[in-house]
Amino acid sequence: MTPALAWITLLAPLAGMLLLVASGGREPSRGFTRLVGVGSVAVSFACALALFLQMLGKDDHERALVSTAWRWADLEGLRIDLSLLVDPLSMMMMLVITGVGSLIVLYSTEYMGHDRDYRRFFAEMDFFIFAMLLLVMAANFVFLIVGWAFVGLASYLLIGYYYEKPAAVAAAKKAFVINVLGDVGLVLAAVMIAREVGALDFATVFASAPDALGAGSTVAEFVAVMLFVGAAAKSAQVPLHTWLPDAMEGPTPVSALIHAATMVTAGVYLIVRCNVLYQLAPHASEMVAIAGAITLFMAATIATVQEDIKRVLAWSTVSQIGYMIMAAGLGLYTGAMFHFLTHAFFKALMFLVAGIVIHALAGEQGIDRMGGLRRYLPVSWVLMGVGCLAIAGVPPFSGFFSKDEILARAWDAGDLGKVLSIVGLAGAVLTAFYMFRMFFRVFHGPEPEGGYDHEPHNPTIIMTLPVVILGVLAVVGGWIQIPTVNHGINTWLDPSLLADPGIEASHATEWRTIAMSLAAAVVGIGVAWMIFGAGGGRRRIEMADRFPALRRFLLDQWRFDPMIDDAVVAPGRDLGDTAVARFEPRGALGIASLGSGLATGAGRLVRASQNGMVRVSAFGVVLGVAIVAVAMILGR
Amino acid sequence: MGISLMYYLLVSGGLFALGLLGVLIRRNPLLLLLSVELMLNGANVALIGFSRHWNSTDGQVFALVVMVVAAAEVVIGLGLIVAVFRQRIALDVDGMDHLKG
Repeated sequence: MTPALAWITLLAPLAGMLLLVASGGREPSRGFTRLVGVGSVAVSFACALALFLQMLGKDDHERALVSTAWRWADLEGLRIDLSLLVDPLSMMMMLVITGVGSLIVLYSTEYMGHDRDYRRFFAEMDFFIFAMLLLVMAANFVFLIVGWAFVGLASYLLIGYYYEKPAAVAAAKKAFVINVLGDVGLVLAAVMIAREVGALDFATVFASAPDALGAGSTVAEFVAVMLFVGAAAKSAQVPLHTWLPDAMEGPTPVSALIHAATMVTAGVYLIVRCNVLYQLAPHASEMVAIAGAITLFMAATIATVQEDIKRVLAWSTVSQIGYMIMAAGLGLYTGAMFHFLTHAFFKALMFLVAGIVIHALAGEQGIDRMGGLRRYLPVSWVLMGVGCLAIAGVPPFSGFFSKDEILARAWDAGDLGKVLSIVGLAGAVLTAFYMFRMFFRVFHGPEPEGGYDHEPHNPTIIMTLPVVILGVLAVVGGWIQIPTVNHGINTWLDPSLLADPGIEASHATEWRTIAMSLAAAVVGIGVAWMIFGAGGGRRRIEMADRFPALRRFLLDQWRFDPMIDDAVVAPGRDLGDTAVARFEPRGALGIASLGSGLATGAGRLVRASQNGMVRVSAFGVVLGVAIVAVAMILGR
Repeated sequence: MGISLMYYLLVSGGLFALGLLGVLIRRNPLLLLLSVELMLNGANVALIGFSRHWNSTDGQVFALVVMVVAAAEVVIGLGLIVAVFRQRIALDVDGMDHLKG
């Protein structure tokens, strides 16, 4: 494999961003912005693809490439290189980031067409792709953390893209603060690893961790838990998930790329990358799995009552990442990555279709103001249908294979796995229900009262083409790993998973899970059809009034925001207020005023000599000279 | 060798002391300038004396430099005095204390 290709993959988007930023103070022409913005990501994708083809030609054990640019830091006993790691796991991430990334950037050229800050959008998108690539291609924890923080920044910038909207600014701040919390966890884990293992590059850490940390030791558990704090913040897992739904304030392509397909799965990548460390920490792994299961179920319930098309998809993303985290916690690393892959396809697809709908309705996002759109937007109707079937787990769409793989193998992964598998199945019913609730209300049923202000318009080929490609991928993406037929993902990822426990589902479990998840999908879709589809959705109103307390609870999103407010924000603010009122006048301010008082006093004393009288000054000079002269004579 | 170094230094020290005394006790800026001039020339005499004593021209060159500086100083000093005079302020250095802290 050619190292130069890896570096071009990483640096092309950065170059694109710099070119856009450096092209003068005035907004460059839109054609130039489009060319650089899309071109740099496309170059990156082409290089990643070339690397992938080279990798396919290699044997399993030769598929990892480490390329070092230079030694970045050489501390006592700790060497840190600026180096890239290209192995099957990072390759898979790179292909999704650059591939889905180029499709979404292409789509944005039209979607953002009415926006005045055209260049800023593409510069920030390019920066995000660079940061995400750095995250997955880093060969040590230091540059992983650098990429990790960079994507947090890119996400902050893009959520707050409409900076004149207070809600967008608040959402951006919230996302940034929670993400930094995760960064702290990650840094603590890295410090602990550096202390215990004496290295930070993946190869050394994973090779010596079993001896240096010891299986099941407190240190191993601590490292794994701290890594999960980072993963949970980035991947929106309980209780650090509240920023993701709010992040929908950003433009829709941003939601598709960053808050659905790539960045929010960084936590999954982290856990899978550190599979060795998690195999050493059984309790932390169980905690990860349970957190994932709670998240997937909770988010699925909340998604059933959302009225904003993007928030439905956002909660659905939280829920689907819950599946991945649960799988990773149970040791089903390939399952987690498989679901990451299919989810990237179908969730990006659904976000982009939602973008088409929003675009067609001139910025309308409430599903209450939609309905009957299949007559106006037939292509979007079909594509959204594909996405919903994929996420609901209907064969032969991609989501079926990945979700089924997780649920089946979880069942055979011990007692905890059985429980979580059932939770996952319940989540699957809810998933099918809330997705088709959205689908029927947007594309079927009656048009909103008073009709549409103006005819919803279909987008041009620039916006349609990426969505169609994603639609095809959402159908066929799951076929690389069909139970009992082929094991594309398992064999591909095998060289990267140094400690894969190799949990396999028995044939009996496999078939039973297929039957059950099919039933789950059918039940979910059927209920959604009864309430929202059949008869123009007239049962919707009566259902809404049936359980007011439950509905209230779900609309409050399980009251996480007020709880975090009460538990963290309010005490923090009170502490700050108390400190300002009580301690600051005497503490920091006291010390400062002591210093300034001393300085003023000394100044007042010295000032007396500065009376402006020329002759006094002259006398001072003479006196000084006399003193020096006397001193010299005496000192001889 | 006619006159010994000691006499040069005595004259030089006397001139310098007279000038210094003038600077310290006079209040008229014109006389102040004159006194400063006296001090400079006292120093010049010492320079010339040393120059002869060590048989080197360095001291004479330096005395010329001092004269140039003295001329420049007088130009600025007289300019200031004229400016003060135009403002109809009494020519008394003790009254010029606007720079006091």
